Amino acid sequence: MNIRLPERFIRRCRCNHRDEAMIGTRQIYIIPSRYGFGFALLLLLMWIGSINYANNLGLLLTFLLAGLGLVTMLHTWRNLLGLGLRLSRANQIFAGEQACFEIQLINQRADERPAICLQFEQGEALYRDLQPDSDLIVKLHIDTERRGRLPIPRLQASTTYPLGLFYAWSYIELKGEALVYPAPGPKQAVTHLPSYQRNQQGDKGVGADDFVGLRSYRPGDSPKQIDWKAQAREQGLHTKQFGGDRADLSWLDWDHYPHLDVEARLSALCRGVLDAVEQQQAFGLRLPDQILKPARSEAQRLAALRALALFGETAQ
Amino acid sequence: MKHADNINTPLLYRLSFITALVVAPHFQRLDLSITLALLAVLTLRLTTLYFTRWKPGRLLLFFVTILCAVLIFSVYPLLMGLEAKVALLSLMLSLKLMECRTQRDLKIVVFLGYFTLITHFLFDQEMLLVGYIFLMVIALTSLLVESSRSSKATGWRFTSLRYSASLLLQAMPIMLVLFFLFPRISGPLWNLGVDNSTGRTGLSDSMTPGSISNLIRSRAVAFRVDFDQAAPPPRQRYWRGPVLWRTDGKRWTRAKFLQAAPVTYRSSAQPIRYQVTLEPSPNDWLYALDLPETLPPEATLLPDFQILAKEIRNQRYRYAATSRLAYHTGPLNQREQRLALQLPDNITTRMEELVRQWRLEASTDRDLVNRALRHFRTEPFYYTLTPPLLGDNPSDQFLFESRRGFCEHYATSFTTLMRIAGIPSRVVTGYQGGELNPIGNYLIVRQSDAHAWSEVWLEESGWTRVDPTAAVAPERIEQTFEFDLEENSGLGIPVIFSAGDYGLFKNLTRQFRLGVDAANASWHRWILGYSKEQQQKLMQQFGLENLSAMKLALGMILATALLIPILLYLLRLRGEVKPDPVVKDYQRFCKRLSRTGIKRFPHEGPKDFAQRVMRKRPDLKPSVNAITQHYIKLRYGRSDGTKLRQQFHRLVRQFRA
Repeated sequence: MNIRLPERFIRRCRCNHRDEAMIGTRQIYIIPSRYGFGFALLLLLMWIGSINYANNLGLLLTFLLAGLGLVTMLHTWRNLLGLGLRLSRANQIFAGEQACFEIQLINQRADERPAICLQFEQGEALYRDLQPDSDLIVKLHIDTERRGRLPIPRLQASTTYPLGLFYAWSYIELKGEALVYPAPGPKQAVTHLPSYQRNQQGDKGVGADDFVGLRSYRPGDSPKQIDWKAQAREQGLHTKQFGGDRADLSWLDWDHYPHLDVEARLSALCRGVLDAVEQQQAFGLRLPDQILKPARSEAQRLAALRALALFGETAQ
Repeated sequence: MKHADNINTPLLYRLSFITALVVAPHFQRLDLSITLALLAVLTLRLTTLYFTRWKPGRLLLFFVTILCAVLIFSVYPLLMGLEAKVALLSLMLSLKLMECRTQRDLKIVVFLGYFTLITHFLFDQEMLLVGYIFLMVIALTSLLVESSRSSKATGWRFTSLRYSASLLLQAMPIMLVLFFLFPRISGPLWNLGVDNSTGRTGLSDSMTPGSISNLIRSRAVAFRVDFDQAAPPPRQRYWRGPVLWRTDGKRWTRAKFLQAAPVTYRSSAQPIRYQVTLEPSPNDWLYALDLPETLPPEATLLPDFQILAKEIRNQRYRYAATSRLAYHTGPLNQREQRLALQLPDNITTRMEELVRQWRLEASTDRDLVNRALRHFRTEPFYYTLTPPLLGDNPSDQFLFESRRGFCEHYATSFTTLMRIAGIPSRVVTGYQGGELNPIGNYLIVRQSDAHAWSEVWLEESGWTRVDPTAAVAPERIEQTFEFDLEENSGLGIPVIFSAGDYGLFKNLTRQFRLGVDAANASWHRWILGYSKEQQQKLMQQFGLENLSAMKLALGMILATALLIPILLYLLRLRGEVKPDPVVKDYQRFCKRLSRTGIKRFPHEGPKDFAQRVMRKRPDLKPSVNAITQHYIKLRYGRSDGTKLRQQFHRLVRQFRA
């Protein structure tokens, strides 16, 4: 059920000091569902029938069901009341992918809260039964289009429990955001040459990447590096040596793409970052307002992508 | 609202089972073929559920539907009458069940089920049925509860049953408010022709020997009476019903009085006020104590003090009346005299001889009546429930040969004798006595209290009641008419009255029976018989007289509006988890810190948090340290002393960031 209310009249449920939103009494909307209207029609028919046959037991049953309808309204409302929500995690994604918000539903009540529906205003709806005094995580996805900060959109929690006669819902605004990186651009023809940075101590052949040569075994060498094939040929015990502590280094530079506009440049740079990471190259990033020193680490990747995502936005 | 649109098999099983139970009470009322069809459809449903390969296809459903339609039109050609409508509804319900797949279907089936439940009350209004229906409402509601959960049950889950029962219990106060305050519309909105002429026991408007002694075996309640003052003694409790004038020597019938007569009798006795709740009967007359004075407005009083009321057939009917127990009815008119002296053809000479003899002994009519009563008393007449069969001339045979009879034998032969003597007389049928129920303080009159007596017209007192049965068996009149049918069932055996000294067991069962009847009576008065008039009376008791429907409706809304906050309060009380006071205090501590900008992360333990705080605010170090230490001890340590808790509470209270 989708009801649009004028934006300025919407009552929202906001976060408290612990970044947790708790649905209060005055933030719940409730209306009869179409089954509720059907039920009302049924009651009307039963009432007319009872009057017509002057059947008091019929009236009694009609009024019992009417009472049930009223009580169920309270229960539907109460099913949402006091429900706690908190954004527990938002993942980082590239523009065009789906952002995933992990929302923690908190039930502090000794009764269960069945059939709680959680959704963004546009998007899939997820139904969960909450056990008494417990919490659980619901993952909600949303499409992204552009890079930057993606604050968590307004949530809608709703329920029709227990009888489906009423539909209660509430708007919740949580604190938190997902970071959307620029969409990686197409692979670019290399317009710059990768530079090498020699290890300042020289290639000592103690890396792990490239095979350098063999030397005779010394006690303490890792059995993984022993040349077992040579041993099998009865050529004696040799240890394989690897080099490669001399790293490839590339600078990803804003000025490498003079022919592109801002977003396309960011996309291209993003592609560069991904490629560098894939090839295990150390890289540096040079943006008009920011320079990241070359490094080869997960932290470097995250910092670079973050810088690209937030380029042009005022720093926090 | 489109979650898990299809309902799963366990729920369908449950739905089918409950639907069968919902329809079940109709089985006895419907035509056998309809019942069989219903059972067949339900069986088909369960089979297709069990053998999942046989999905009920559209063609099969169509075929079954056509079959059912043909069947119903062949049994009830024009769908006339309640039975036909109920049959149609039940079949519709079970066919809908056949194609039930989605949430929507389930809701429709449940709603149809609710509607089917209400139709049971058109046939039967017993308390037992009401209990059954209530259980069915719980069961149907639990289906709605179950289906609106998001995790689907794989088996039978009883929590939803318990939950729906609690919902309905909460609905009950609202139901009562609505029931008692909803403005009543009296009378049908349109005539649906209730056909309810099932045979019920009760007096009829004619009498042959044996007609009352058949009634006497029934313990069914004829009516109940509430007296506004003390009930009159048993010997004065004569409930007047049909008055019989005409006889052909065997059968006594009523006379035709076309117009009502104004009440014409003189009396110096105090009027007695009472309310009678009449059980449904196929008759159109009311009962009142001898003699009625004021009557309900819809009733008419005939010149022989018989009360007729239209439109009361086959329903429970409650009315108020007043009577005076001593009276003088005044002179007799020509027509009445002729009727009251009408004699059948089969008067025998020995009857005439007997009367002639009495006439010689008695100087006045009154003496003659007394002489006749003495005859019944002194001669070997017996009061028995099982009189021997009498031939064409029951009065003669009874008076001179069998001498064993029931009240109708005494009343009819006495009246015949009086007519032979030239004294105008008639037979009155009705009920005599009744059992006073101390629990509800009302009188229960049963079919077994049915009675017949005579009235003779005497110059000095007008119509005078004479009960020849009292001459033979005075206990019948003085005591509650209660005896063991088994003991008294032999042919012609005189009735032995038990004089009230019941054994312990009998006494207990009697008490129990009276208790049940009291519950039944208030059930009938307050629920089944609750009407517009009752509603007005109830309002009068609260000092609100002549409330308009508008005001009643307002009152109803107000009362409901008062109930709901109470319910809400109770609901909120029930659900809340009382937080641990230690946790609460710690949260307060965190809240104070968060105001200064140091927020505790959700993942942060108390120790880490404390270290971070102390790093940022070295000035708070001692108090933060103490609070954290206490908290860890209280939450995770072994000590759970109240002293420590109080200390902790004090520390938090004194903490200022």
